[in-house]
Amino acid sequence: MSTAAGTSNALSDPFLHPALFYRDDQEYLDGTVPFVREGLAAGEPVAVAVPEDRLRLIRDGLGADARNVRLLDMREAGRNPGRIIPGVLRAFADTVPAGRRARIIGEPIWAGRSTAEYPACVQHEALINAAFRGRAATVLCPYDAVRLPARVLEDAHITHPAVVPAGSRSARPSAAYAPDAAVARYNEPLPLVADTMTYPFVADTLPEARHAATDEGRRLGLTGLTLEDLTLAVAELTTNSVVHGGGSGVLRIWGEGGHVLCEVRDRGRMTDPLAGRRPATRDQRGGRGLLMVNLLADLVRVHTGDEGTTIRCWFSR
Amino acid sequence: MRAAGEIGLATHTIWERVLEQAVREGEAVYYLELSEVTFVDVAGAGALAAAAERLGDGRRLVVRRPPTALSRVLEMFWPDLSTIEVSMS
Repeated sequence: MSTAAGTSNALSDPFLHPALFYRDDQEYLDGTVPFVREGLAAGEPVAVAVPEDRLRLIRDGLGADARNVRLLDMREAGRNPGRIIPGVLRAFADTVPAGRRARIIGEPIWAGRSTAEYPACVQHEALINAAFRGRAATVLCPYDAVRLPARVLEDAHITHPAVVPAGSRSARPSAAYAPDAAVARYNEPLPLVADTMTYPFVADTLPEARHAATDEGRRLGLTGLTLEDLTLAVAELTTNSVVHGGGSGVLRIWGEGGHVLCEVRDRGRMTDPLAGRRPATRDQRGGRGLLMVNLLADLVRVHTGDEGTTIRCWFSR
Repeated sequence: MRAAGEIGLATHTIWERVLEQAVREGEAVYYLELSEVTFVDVAGAGALAAAAERLGDGRRLVVRRPPTALSRVLEMFWPDLSTIEVSMS
């Protein structure tokens, strides 16, 4: 049973990131439960972050061993793909004592992820490789080979250095592995939406932009903590535009189905693909704005290029 | 010390100066009355946390009636910071 070992993309890199394809519950259990047990037997801290129904399968499969594993419902903890690295994967792996390997099962993509979420999901999977480079950790990502479209399974070959084919017990290298290309491909434009509240801002009007966002969020049905989340996110995004994005930007707010969306456009270009995805260190002074936006929003999408940057956030109403 | 208004990009400098003074004064307990502060952004919360971390043994900052956003941001990024006490009275 060598699922756990996976295949490293570089001989020197201790980080392993295999995708596991499964067609039914039995293949799911065969691919995950021994992986967890191997970790526990080796004294490795183990976390499982998968959708609730899958979590139940693994929990039952582990029996008494489940008590020694950190179990998380990925639908909640990882609803926004942008917060999975800082809020789930690194949040766990960074607590592992030096010299020990962190072992994690993370299932960020399930049938039912929306078309708005999907590009952020692929970018997240691709960026795991950069976020864990050089670390002693294994992140195993299960993919439902029956219910997910073929394109999703193809993308998994691009974002994972190794794959465990359905029905197989061992990982093989993925010839298609090209995580930077995946990040670039899903850096999709976010076309302007008609009929939004539109508020151009500069440094002097940051407070007014934030107030306008709060008022509009309330009018669109946000209340309590969610309204506050919108306010905090807008404050950080607009401030970022002033400080890093050319000194000004345009804020837009609108409602769409069950969500209120906010979007900030500016003329800056994001050059660090891991911005907002690194966990903050305790004594780090600034640089938490985008991370907080990722932690608060239900979805964050980014498009960045020579013409500028657009960041769009979804909040459930 | 009593603050009013908003702590954001335009007011970070003065906010950091106030916190610097709190650290320097050396009192065991330093009270920050924030009931008239309507908003604190993440950088403002970070400056408060950094000041609290520089307090020596046995000293603490008591933050009175801060806007809820500040408590949430502190809880999110500095959950175990023992030198800041949030007081709602």
